[in-house]
Amino acid sequence: MAKPVMRKPKKKANPLKSAKIEAIDYKDTALLRKFISDRGKIRARRVTGVSVQEQRLIANAVKNAREMALLPYSSSAR
Amino acid sequence: MRQYELMIILEPETEERTLQPTLEKMLAVVGKDGGSVDEIDIMGRRRLAYEIKKQAEGIYAVVQMTAEPATAQELDRQLGLNESVLRTKLLRRDA
Repeated sequence: MAKPVMRKPKKKANPLKSAKIEAIDYKDTALLRKFISDRGKIRARRVTGVSVQEQRLIANAVKNAREMALLPYSSSAR
Repeated sequence: MRQYELMIILEPETEERTLQPTLEKMLAVVGKDGGSVDEIDIMGRRRLAYEIKKQAEGIYAVVQMTAEPATAQELDRQLGLNESVLRTKLLRRDA
């Protein structure tokens, strides 16, 4: 019988902590751009490596920024 | 009384020189029942991520203010009726 390969997920460094950012603001588009893909979609938490609470703040900030045309809803559609 | 942050996008044709007085006139309602405008930050002309009312650019301004909830709602309503305002966003600063 084949032994199931147990792979330990590699823990990512929290990018907010390493950049010393306390408040997530929808006006800070330079920061928010790090959390969206090049098509404008919000990156998943398993990609970004932030905590659940932070991810929710980021998602809300991105959505607010989109409403004010600071970030695109979608960009460069194929 | 609550603290609010209000972002306004104005039409790009708006005169840059008269921007400050124009904004102050728009915000006149805040002072009527004890509220105050704490700060007006004009971020200036910026490219919009997508077109709003066929405009590719807008003048951004962020206002920090203290006001009664009803007053803030009324201000947001008035701005929505104003033709030279492309979009607004009213947020509570502490939430």
